[in-house]
Amino acid sequence: MESIDHNDSNRDEMIMQQQREIEKEISESTPLVSELMPLTCLGAEYNGDDVFTAKIQDLSKKYKFIRRTRPDGNCFFRAFAYSYLEYLITNNSAYQEFQKLAESSKNKLVELGFPSFTLEDFHETFMEVIKRVCPDNPAGPDEVKNELHKIFNEQGYSDYVVVYLRLITSGKLQEDADFYQHFIEGDYSIEEFRHQEVEPMYKESDHIHIIALCTALGVGVKVEYLDRGEGGTVKAHDFPEGSESKVYLIYRPGHYDILYPN
Amino acid sequence: MAGSALRRLMAEYKQLTMDPPEGIAAGPISEDNFFEWEALIAGPEGTCFEGGVFPARLIFPPDYPLSPPKMKFTCDMFHPNIFADGRVCISILHAPGDDPMGYELSAERWSPVQSVEKILLSVVSMLAEPNDESGANVDAAIMWRERREEFNSIAQRLVRKTLGLTT
Repeated sequence: MESIDHNDSNRDEMIMQQQREIEKEISESTPLVSELMPLTCLGAEYNGDDVFTAKIQDLSKKYKFIRRTRPDGNCFFRAFAYSYLEYLITNNSAYQEFQKLAESSKNKLVELGFPSFTLEDFHETFMEVIKRVCPDNPAGPDEVKNELHKIFNEQGYSDYVVVYLRLITSGKLQEDADFYQHFIEGDYSIEEFRHQEVEPMYKESDHIHIIALCTALGVGVKVEYLDRGEGGTVKAHDFPEGSESKVYLIYRPGHYDILYPN
Repeated sequence: MAGSALRRLMAEYKQLTMDPPEGIAAGPISEDNFFEWEALIAGPEGTCFEGGVFPARLIFPPDYPLSPPKMKFTCDMFHPNIFADGRVCISILHAPGDDPMGYELSAERWSPVQSVEKILLSVVSMLAEPNDESGANVDAAIMWRERREEFNSIAQRLVRKTLGLTT
């Protein structure tokens, strides 16, 4: 009996390992962040599907381009970071403000109880990325945008930015725990939710992640929902409600990509 | 500089050397390879593992600290949360979702702000207080629960063995 149990858990672990490897292989065939593509390229994925075809048509009146992100569970954070930093390249005063906010965020997280020692590395890399996309660069915005694209496709930078945004999100959930507790389903406490669903890499994001991050950074995000819902038009949500959008994302069940409005 | 496992591991090694927690020593086996560490863990006082010094090996993945290391005792061990081959099975060594043992929601999980130190401290707590709900070694879990004295005497024998005393 005992030896069977032992084998079972070994086998479970092997199956999980195999599954992870398959997912990894699929995911790594997509770049972390793709080049700009025409929005209409989405049509090819839903050939012959009337609901989606009509909705893509509708969406293309508002957005011309899309930039895809790797479907690795980090897509919301990666898409958000890329899109907002891209916005900042041509908005110097917002850039300066964001840099200050990012600089002071580390102390805030330490005050909230995050370990300073392990936080350091992620904060440093995050600040370096911000510095490298400074709008003051004499090479001009196009060159800085190329730099941004390069950085976000380098795993060591791209993933560390994701980690740091996860920590900011987790910090916000803790800071305003009374408020966010209402959004959490099931038996999770805020504490458990942060450790289980926010801080670890590769865990997918839900509304609560988006609201907490946008609120923490003061950045408006519009998400367009492309799903099988009725009506022929794509429904959009602004986070936080009533905010002015700086980041535009498209959500298809399980995945976020970046949108470019006309 | 881009985030890197090597830089982080070097920083953790330095920290553990300068300010080691009581009863724990850890570092790379060879300075040529920071992805393989040896750890020595003193059996916690007031437990059946008291007096023993238990060697273990930690293997870090290339994307550490995004993913956790694996840990394995290299001495004989008999404990509900350690597999017969020495692999340590506690929640902090797993990301959520990666769940061979069905850990509780409140169990501490791996995330990039955890550290080798946190893992080793969890292992010390695990030695002191086995979790018999998630049995990596079912024999040990049953014995721990039902025949504690027998468990203690096996533990004491393992303690003496780690000290090179065979009697």
